[in-house]
Amino acid sequence: MDELELLKKDWKKQDDKLPKLSYDEIYKMMLKKSSSLVKWIFMISVGEFLILFLLEVIGRVNGAYEMFGEDIIYKNISIVSNVISYSVILFFMVKFYMNYKTIQTTDSAKELMKNILKTRRTVKYYVITNLSILTIALTIAFGYVLFGGGDLQVTKELADTEMSKYAIMTVFFIFIIITIFIAGLIYFLLYGLLTRKLKKNYKELKKMDL
Amino acid sequence: MNKDLEHSFVTLLEKNQNIVHKVCRIYTSDSDSHNDLFQEITIQLWKAYPKFRGDAKFSTWMYRVALNTAITLYRKSKKNIKTSDYDALSFKISAEEYDYEVEQRLKLMYEAVKKLNDIEKALVFLYLEDKSYREISETMGISEVNARVKMNRVKTKLKKILNP
Repeated sequence: MDELELLKKDWKKQDDKLPKLSYDEIYKMMLKKSSSLVKWIFMISVGEFLILFLLEVIGRVNGAYEMFGEDIIYKNISIVSNVISYSVILFFMVKFYMNYKTIQTTDSAKELMKNILKTRRTVKYYVITNLSILTIALTIAFGYVLFGGGDLQVTKELADTEMSKYAIMTVFFIFIIITIFIAGLIYFLLYGLLTRKLKKNYKELKKMDL
Repeated sequence: MNKDLEHSFVTLLEKNQNIVHKVCRIYTSDSDSHNDLFQEITIQLWKAYPKFRGDAKFSTWMYRVALNTAITLYRKSKKNIKTSDYDALSFKISAEEYDYEVEQRLKLMYEAVKKLNDIEKALVFLYLEDKSYREISETMGISEVNARVKMNRVKTKLKKILNP
């Protein structure tokens, strides 16, 4: 087939025009696989921050917080818990970003393995911290609603119901457990899968080390 | 990490990188996907490198791993592969000795190759690389007769694409 022969001739001429990668560029390429995973971890944490912030704004605009009335103590609790949780996310966001930057410039497999472990640790601490904060914040909030004796709209409403305090406590307790479970599940899906891939990369690197 | 292994691998790949670039050229249409595929092939080669025993030539082994990687990725992201940029690329490659008629024929031919499926592309690629049917059969893991038959089918298909 003439056309194919023509193509073959043209194909052979391309050698000098192909890109030429240096030794270092190729070397870095072998190690780069983890960097995109770490980048995703960072991006997800940014997304998480934005979504939480947006939900908060939407909630405030739509008056979802009005049921708590004008109780000063409750307001303070909510401000403090907000400040803490946003600072935690921001702190870890910076950490994730730094991990990403370090992995990007890593040029030895040993260093890369170290950084993968570090990133996995950071993610673990992040999830544990966030879930703990959520548990503590919910417990304090519910505790205050039930026993705080403040001037909360919802406290008054609860006092008017037929349910006993124990029944309400049980409902709250179940609610907290379900919330933590769902939050944990979301974290597992978001970060767990990425860190698992990182672990796989780590294992591959380690295998070659032997 | 075994430094010697790393060093020997990168040196060999640096020397033979044209093979990978050419595989990328057959399977991708723009420089971003070219680079992505190059990196993916590099990673796959590196992963498989400890198993490379040296009983085949490094380049032959590279052809096999590189094509396998390209085919696997191509299947995964079939819908995402753009073909529109390809004309520009083929023009760029041979713009030196500009001959309008030859240029047009080449352009049509590159477009036709682009329309082949992943396996057919691999066959054409090896054919363009001047591989014998024996080498083609070894690289693709099929019999020599099968390679011949398949290549003839590809030629017929290309003809059909060019003269519908």
